[in-house]
Amino acid sequence: MATEAPRLVEIADPFANLDNLRLSQDFSETCGVKKLLTTVPVRKPHKQEFVRVHPDPGYRDNFPAIDLKDDRELYIVARTVQAELATECVPATLFTAINRQGVIFLWPVRLPGPDGKQNEWWRSAAEAAALAMTQWIRMQAKMELGAYEISTATGTLPEPPWPDLPFNELLKIAFRDRVISSLDHPVVARLRGL
Amino acid sequence: MAFKVPRSVVVIDFEFIATTGERPIPVCMVAHELRSGQHWRLWQGQFGPAPPYPTGPDVLVVAFYASAEFGCYRALGWPMPSCILDLYIEFRNLTNGRRPPCGVGLVGALAYYGLDTIGAAEKDAMRELVMGGGPWSEAERTAILDYCESDVCALERLLPVMLPQIDIPRALLRGRYMAAAAVMEFNGTPIDVPTLQMLREQWTGIQDVLIAAVDRDYGVFDGRTFKADRFERFLQHQNTPWARLESGRLDLGDGTFRQASKSYPIIAPLRELRSALSDLRLNDLAVGQDGRNRTILSAFRSKTGRNQPSNSKYIFGPAVWLRSLIKPPQDHGIAYVDWSQQEFGIAAALSGDINMQSAYQSGDPYLTFAKQAHAVPADATKATHGPQRELFKQCVLGVQYGMTAGALALRIGQPAIVARNLLQAYGETYRKFRVWSDAAVDTAMLTGSLNTVFGWRVHVGESANPRSLRNFPMQANGAEMLRLACCLGIERGIEICAPVHDAVLICAPLDRLEADIGGMRAAMTKAAGIVLNGFELHTDATVIRYPDRYSDPRGRMMWNQVMSLISRHREAQKPAA
Repeated sequence: MATEAPRLVEIADPFANLDNLRLSQDFSETCGVKKLLTTVPVRKPHKQEFVRVHPDPGYRDNFPAIDLKDDRELYIVARTVQAELATECVPATLFTAINRQGVIFLWPVRLPGPDGKQNEWWRSAAEAAALAMTQWIRMQAKMELGAYEISTATGTLPEPPWPDLPFNELLKIAFRDRVISSLDHPVVARLRGL
Repeated sequence: MAFKVPRSVVVIDFEFIATTGERPIPVCMVAHELRSGQHWRLWQGQFGPAPPYPTGPDVLVVAFYASAEFGCYRALGWPMPSCILDLYIEFRNLTNGRRPPCGVGLVGALAYYGLDTIGAAEKDAMRELVMGGGPWSEAERTAILDYCESDVCALERLLPVMLPQIDIPRALLRGRYMAAAAVMEFNGTPIDVPTLQMLREQWTGIQDVLIAAVDRDYGVFDGRTFKADRFERFLQHQNTPWARLESGRLDLGDGTFRQASKSYPIIAPLRELRSALSDLRLNDLAVGQDGRNRTILSAFRSKTGRNQPSNSKYIFGPAVWLRSLIKPPQDHGIAYVDWSQQEFGIAAALSGDINMQSAYQSGDPYLTFAKQAHAVPADATKATHGPQRELFKQCVLGVQYGMTAGALALRIGQPAIVARNLLQAYGETYRKFRVWSDAAVDTAMLTGSLNTVFGWRVHVGESANPRSLRNFPMQANGAEMLRLACCLGIERGIEICAPVHDAVLICAPLDRLEADIGGMRAAMTKAAGIVLNGFELHTDATVIRYPDRYSDPRGRMMWNQVMSLISRHREAQKPAA
């Protein structure tokens, strides 16, 4: 029986160029999967969550809206029926926002009405949205203050991962069945006691 | 690699005697050369200094579980072939993650492809005849040779059916490892046999005192019985969190004890004791007459392609305190050489996450992760921010195993929100890794399989486990790296005794030890660079010179306790003067 280990080093190496054998481990390249955004809530930030607002002006716009407070639902009013629903409509800016968990939502902030009057809740919410374009903020209602109290995160937090979808696509998803484009709409019927 | 059509294709099979812990003793060999149709049937005494069939880099040697054949090569002093096609490994690769109806043995592979099989009962009977060790009558010799040849014929039938499905260049790389595995199995790990013998003799006698000695710090045993209610009181007293079953009772599984031991070192001796009392079968530890622990490595047996040797037969089984039985022979030293943070490094390199790569390259990925997540100041050190570093370390280790926030919270002994924040910090700091890791699972679920850089593949079976799939690239490419390092080390003439997950144990005469450690580290660095496309992994080496023994820090206390008790027990057994 032999005791000396045979040295394989003397044998010509058929594996001299292993780099040629490497298979790609870039799974996203070989088999791409894209997460679909199918739900975009329309709401203000919860009192405990930190949020950011998309700083691109293309990701916000002003709309006439009807706020069904009992159902906690916001409807967009098409321009074609806006005049007929002027008394029920309120103007609002819809900001594209995201929380720390990566949930994208549209944040409605009231604008002054035709009389130009502003209240502290709307003003402080708009201020919070503006601040959230550059830093993570939290907004909590303070009854004694009559406005939202705004906190900013002091730690260094990463920039949010914004979606690739354009604003109009986000709107489509958020308001897919909540656009009032005719006076036959059930919301109009309810508001008029019909 | 341009693969040339081989000049010669030789299908081989050996029959050999494999006694527990011993090197194989070849009994006979049959080889068929497929181009010329030439056959060889050799019996003991006819083997000669080299194979009788063509050899050389342009000869393809085909076998089924080739490390057995090449163990015989090594025993005979035959030079190893450089082109090896192992149909067992390739059948494993083609079916990995699935359950072939008749298993993954030769019969299973033949049945899988609808080919003739030889009866399993007949195989057992013939194996027993071989293992009986002889002497064999002329008729028995003929029967054994015929049986050996029947396996060669079976391989001949299998080869053309499997060939279209085999990725030959990468299959040869796997075959190359089987030659290295054979050499490592042949080498074995040096064991302190007198101490093992003493341990075997005294183990039963010291169990009660051992329990009493360990239990002094816990008070959880009643005789030899572990009492869950007492353990619960101990945990409450220590303020140590513990996983529970759905029923609400404590989870007393070994996996839970193992995890807890990492986070709470006070649990480690208790875990070692419980494991020793329930699982320790000292007589199963396979040690040969030459004092080497030696057992089949079961290469490619796990889904990730890692070796899966028997826990009870292999010295690197789970009872870490027993590893203190490893001791270099006189005038020799051993070294345990491992990649530091191998899985984190692989994740960093393959995902291309720059933050992760710089954390790895910093030498302390845990602290760097904490800095990257802005949880500690940029000038923080292990000394100034030890507890924070520990939290981030546990997070890194947990993420590698797909740990949930709840499990991580238990591990770090913190509320779930702390664990959630850590996991969120991980995802945000290593965003590219997270995307890549998600894509790995998506790829597996969409295409039905995942593969390593060198083509080791796992198929998504009926019950896909996303956590395992997510971990597959790290584990399976880690296995590729270890296999390649073992090939390079063995081919450099280094005596590798054992591959161990992300490490190897080597042995060398003292005057060559440092050089061989350097050679092994170079081989491991090279292997890492090849698998990771140039990304370099660091290595560490723990060196033990005769007469010192190997010692795993996790089992040191248990080992010392056992040795001390044996010493006292022996003293007590001595007759009074």
